[in-house]
Amino acid sequence: MQIFKAFMKVLKKKLPSGLIYIVVFLCIAVPMALNGKESEKYEDSTLKICIFDEDDTPESKALIEYIDKKHDIVSFEKDKDILFDKLYWEEADYALTINKGYSKALESGDTNDMFGCYRVHYSYATVYMETYLNEYVSSVRAFIAGGQDSYKAAISAVDALSEETEVEIADNSDPDYPERFSSYFQYMPYILISVLMNTLCPVLMTLNRKDIRYRTNCSCVRPNRYTVQLFAGSTVFVTAVWLILMIAGLFMYGGVFKGNAWLAVLNSFIFALVSTSIAVLVSSFNIGANGVSLLTQIIGLGMCFLCGVFVPTAFLGKEVRAAANFLPASWYIKANDMLDGSAVFDGSKLAAYILIEVAFIVTIFIVALLIHRIKYNDSDSLDG
Amino acid sequence: MFLHELKYELLVCLRVKEILIWMIIFPVCLGAFFKMALYNVYEKDIGFSTIEVAVVENSPNTALHTVLDNIEKQDDAFLKATYTDKEEAEKLLQNKEVSGIIFSDAELTLTVDGKGMRSTMLSDFVKTYNDRQRIITEAVKNDPVSAQAVIDELSKDISTCTEIPLNDGNPNYYVQYFYNLIAMVAIFGSLTGLHITINNQANLSALGARKNCSPTPKSISTLASLIGSIIIQGGCMVICVTYIKYVLKVDFGSHLPLVYISAFIGGILGVSLGFFVGSIGRIRTDMKTSILISVSLLSCFLSGLMVGNMKVTVQKNLPWFNKINPAAVISDSFHCLDYYKGYDMFITKIVTMLVISAIFMLLGFIMIRRKKYADL
Amino acid sequence: MERTVVKIDNLVKRYGELTALDHFSLEIKEGEILGLLGPNGSGKTTTINCLLSLLSFDKGRIEIFGKEMTPTSYDIKKEIGIIMQNVAVFDELTVYENIDYFCGLYINDKAKRKEYVEEAVKFVGLEDFLKFHPKKLSGGLLRRLNIACGIAHKPKLIILDEPTVAVDPQSRNKILEGIQELNKNGATVIYTSHYMEEVEQICTRIAIMDKGKKIAEGTKDELKRMTRNTETIIIEILDLPKAIQDKISGLPHVYKADYDDDKLTVYCSGGKHNLLRVLDLLQKEELSFGRVYSELPTLNDVFLEITGKALRDKEE
Repeated sequence: MQIFKAFMKVLKKKLPSGLIYIVVFLCIAVPMALNGKESEKYEDSTLKICIFDEDDTPESKALIEYIDKKHDIVSFEKDKDILFDKLYWEEADYALTINKGYSKALESGDTNDMFGCYRVHYSYATVYMETYLNEYVSSVRAFIAGGQDSYKAAISAVDALSEETEVEIADNSDPDYPERFSSYFQYMPYILISVLMNTLCPVLMTLNRKDIRYRTNCSCVRPNRYTVQLFAGSTVFVTAVWLILMIAGLFMYGGVFKGNAWLAVLNSFIFALVSTSIAVLVSSFNIGANGVSLLTQIIGLGMCFLCGVFVPTAFLGKEVRAAANFLPASWYIKANDMLDGSAVFDGSKLAAYILIEVAFIVTIFIVALLIHRIKYNDSDSLDG
Repeated sequence: MFLHELKYELLVCLRVKEILIWMIIFPVCLGAFFKMALYNVYEKDIGFSTIEVAVVENSPNTALHTVLDNIEKQDDAFLKATYTDKEEAEKLLQNKEVSGIIFSDAELTLTVDGKGMRSTMLSDFVKTYNDRQRIITEAVKNDPVSAQAVIDELSKDISTCTEIPLNDGNPNYYVQYFYNLIAMVAIFGSLTGLHITINNQANLSALGARKNCSPTPKSISTLASLIGSIIIQGGCMVICVTYIKYVLKVDFGSHLPLVYISAFIGGILGVSLGFFVGSIGRIRTDMKTSILISVSLLSCFLSGLMVGNMKVTVQKNLPWFNKINPAAVISDSFHCLDYYKGYDMFITKIVTMLVISAIFMLLGFIMIRRKKYADL
Repeated sequence: MERTVVKIDNLVKRYGELTALDHFSLEIKEGEILGLLGPNGSGKTTTINCLLSLLSFDKGRIEIFGKEMTPTSYDIKKEIGIIMQNVAVFDELTVYENIDYFCGLYINDKAKRKEYVEEAVKFVGLEDFLKFHPKKLSGGLLRRLNIACGIAHKPKLIILDEPTVAVDPQSRNKILEGIQELNKNGATVIYTSHYMEEVEQICTRIAIMDKGKKIAEGTKDELKRMTRNTETIIIEILDLPKAIQDKISGLPHVYKADYDDDKLTVYCSGGKHNLLRVLDLLQKEELSFGRVYSELPTLNDVFLEITGKALRDKEE
């Protein structure tokens, strides 16, 4: 128990700087979750479109009217730099120029170069709008071919294209675990690794200092017990930190967790333990305070990018996904994906994922034990 | 005197391998991870890729088959259809193997799995199909003579849009992750800057006390340390940019020398931030380290290091903050170089960095100006 | 009369409620080795830090070489060599580089500096360790490096703040001899310590401090004259009855007799054959005794006499 107590005393000393991390990462977690998933996709398919009408004919007006029916029209000055800024900062999704001669081109069928479109980078919006405009022009041309004059055709096309099509959205998301809230758990691995490594490693490194370990080894405490007690102390602290994060989660959830949300809570606790074991392992090496800070970011950011915490797994390459299987966060994410409906829910699979996380904890912990044994106890025979 | 100090400052910095090594390992590892993780992202996310769709027919719809076949024949086909029955299709949709199901009846109807852009594109396809069907049916009804012309017109493959690029920059949106990584390395330079005050302040270290007893004025020895740290950090920045450019082959556009300059100045900003925090009163060093790391991470987070579009969100809510957030300013400076034709924006960013650095340094010097301490 | 090198006048330094220096005054003449002696926490280091203008103080005035000392008195600082209680060297630099670095803060001329650094190395006997990093040095060698860093620039005034704490006897002697040699070469030395033996051994003049006050000052002999004690007799003896202890106290020239821990301590003032008289009495009472020894007065007795407590805790 002595080592456990010493752990708590050192922890108390280091708590103020640890608290800073906890607060800061909460500050990061909440906006990350709020900002997260929603803006990754287009909430609905209404785009903000900026139109410069250089043709200024009834036909072009009809087109603008058509666009306005479905999308929002925003207007900016026609200046490349301004446009660039607006597009870059997503104040507009698409900027379109209706070139002079549009109405004539409609009649003649010379459809190339009717519109100019600005881009910052390729996006769905660009592709979508191109199809959208092509379609419209085709329809107008069809009506003209059917014998209408260009203005009439433009109007007819709007009418024809404005008919609604029946679209059903299959919703397999879980009302107990809404998307907005699930993204809080989505980013949890980064938060847990960062907070726990930054707070725990300095404490453990103090207790692992060579002279202290050697001194302790002279006492009757066995090295394995030493490591076990360190792990126990860490777990108590980690549980406390995790509880803080969960309480923050309660606020975001708006009440007590329900249904699948509890499974997410369990998953995050397991991952908190994974982070603990990583912290225990890292602090076996005396890499100094700055080393810990930077290594934390390497492990935290690196693992989170590779395991699909920040970038959805679906976008990662096959090889990366295969490699990520050797990292605990990817199993956490697989479990979370199941819970929030991005993957099919399967209870036994979920249990398997969580068990794999546990296996990671055990493995990392055993490696830490071995390192401690080798490092602090050269002659094993003394160890009884 | 100054050069003597500088020489030893550099020597000490080079031998404090801890920070130096981490400052190099850090971008090397993370850069590699980013590259691995983001390599495919470009094509899959914002770039345009094929949408898988299941098609369920009540009765064989040859017209639909023809249309779909024509689409699939194209080079960048945006649709790939799987013909199947309802049950199987729903399973596919649930397993995310297809993005939607097209049911073919009198008209086409669609079931999709969410409100994303893919769904929008699918629904537009279905809608267009229905629209065309309607137009053709009507045309046939009204004037069977012109019907063929109408059909011809509709099946013409037209391209009405001419793209006007706003810049010659790298269209890859994800290059900004690397910009942010460089910004992070620069801001973490504050850890290099932190020890300046510690080694020069009598109340923070025995070394500082000893230096304070020497006839070398504190301003000179501090300045030497500051410049030494900047040189070291600048070196790390140069290594970082070189690695990202030549090993990871990330495209920085055509202004590489300016990228180096900008990264170097970013390093100055980082070091001066560390110097500033280091000179705040008598806070314990580990506390100062936590403050620095936290500030750095917050700054990087708001600049979009973790969640890419964070900067856009900040721009919507707190536009002034993007103008002064160190990490955002540093990463923007690279992005300006790539995206803007003129150098005005780039110069603005560089000036912002220099002004922020100058303010930090000035405040730092003001705080360490005091020569005597009430307590050691 | 010799020049006054350091003049501390009525120095008062408070840390909140605690008064660390209480109207402390001291003058140090050129060529002296002044020992500042006092128990831990008596204000020795505070005095040194005030002297060096590292610490602000509430009252008083400090002059060095006849000029007021301020943080920017670079001309004064040029002439001071400082060896702190804590070893202050760069772990990252080698022995040679460390000395060169600190010397370079004082001396710009490269050739001269090289010469000085080499002399300093020789002086502390670190010739064989030039390429070593401080972490590889033993405690004693590290202290010697610390000293070399402080004296390489040949200062006129050398301040040593407990330089021998945790140093093996061999290194300690080397250090003490070195200090005397520096003094012989013309340096004025201020030496703080709570080891009275060291101070007695090398200092030409001694100031004793307690609780921020100077309680005595003078040469070793002058100080010892301040106590009435001329001889302390210590006899190891088992089960000394109180009555006999009182009897011993009553002997002529004896002003105090303590019995503690099976040790009888008899303090005498003047007179001859004090020891014989005490032993005679014990013999008459038929008490057997073990080791017997007699000591001449030490600085500890002086301190004890003035403050009523020992200079150092027993255990030290």
